[in-house]
Amino acid sequence: MAMLKTILGNLLRPSRTRAPADMPDVPPAYRGALAHEAARCTACGTCAYVCAPKAISFTQDPGLSVSWRFFIGQCSFCGLCAQNCPTQAIRLEAGVPAGMNSAAGDGFRLESVIPLRACTRCGAAHVPLPASTMDALWGSDEAERGYCPECRRWAAGARLRVAFVPAAGEEVRHER
Amino acid sequence: MNLIERVVAISRRRSPWICRLNAGSCNGCDIEITPLLSPRYDAEQLGIELHGTPKHADIVLISGTLTLRSRQAILDIYDQVPSPKAVVALGSCPLSGNVFAGSPLVLGQSLDSLVPVDVWVPGCPPRPQAILDGIARAASLLEEGATRSQMESLLEGGQGRPS
Repeated sequence: MAMLKTILGNLLRPSRTRAPADMPDVPPAYRGALAHEAARCTACGTCAYVCAPKAISFTQDPGLSVSWRFFIGQCSFCGLCAQNCPTQAIRLEAGVPAGMNSAAGDGFRLESVIPLRACTRCGAAHVPLPASTMDALWGSDEAERGYCPECRRWAAGARLRVAFVPAAGEEVRHER
Repeated sequence: MNLIERVVAISRRRSPWICRLNAGSCNGCDIEITPLLSPRYDAEQLGIELHGTPKHADIVLISGTLTLRSRQAILDIYDQVPSPKAVVALGSCPLSGNVFAGSPLVLGQSLDSLVPVDVWVPGCPPRPQAILDGIARAASLLEEGATRSQMESLLEGGQGRPS
């Protein structure tokens, strides 16, 4: 009788093994496929520096753009790049990278292009800083938003000069 | 392709037997194969069965960094697999050597230069469901006669499509 009940139960219940599409969820902190956000990237090169298997590299197109390149076949998914990225431009998504047919071409490489912008003061091409970084580092001085690093340094120096010298516009000689 | 060949091709997809080959792996990928065969991921619902000998296998799973010592073993074992066969490379190591690249004992080339690889499963290690997906892709390639070894034999004017 017990056997009959088991057989009947097995017939009526769905099977206890999972269908291939019904897979266990990944944990929330799972380190899956890499994603790069070009608008947040400052091309500082920290990710390429900390990457032990050298999966990340940067290439330059002088005057036009900087490209962030990622080779999935060399990645060990350690997450150091995402952890060390100062602007959180790199994320490791929870999605699982799918299998790749070798006939399907070069799906192993990601490329993300960061276009350079001309400095509004001197015209030099530079990687623009993301807006949040601008707010944190340079305050809300709108005139300095489009400056290249050299001109930002010059602007900071100019502010310092104004702060220390009481009579504005007057040339100061430092004598030691 | 006549009816019998078609039935054989379909049944090859419905029950691909796999053989596992560790080419010098850190065992990460091999540990992920074990839950793949267990009821939680349940590879056997797709007819996948693990076999110890390459002579019974349709699909070879190759995991791990290629080392100088394993190079000849890979070639030998690949030759022992009967002819309609597919190769699935697990993880980053067969493609590039990953963190082991540059070691004097590691081959500085991808697995592709030794045997024709059909499916790459990225990850370090790949999750069991990604491996399952890779095996399913390889099995459907086998059915279509589109694995690289089959294509090569077709180009050489051999038997052509699997009988």
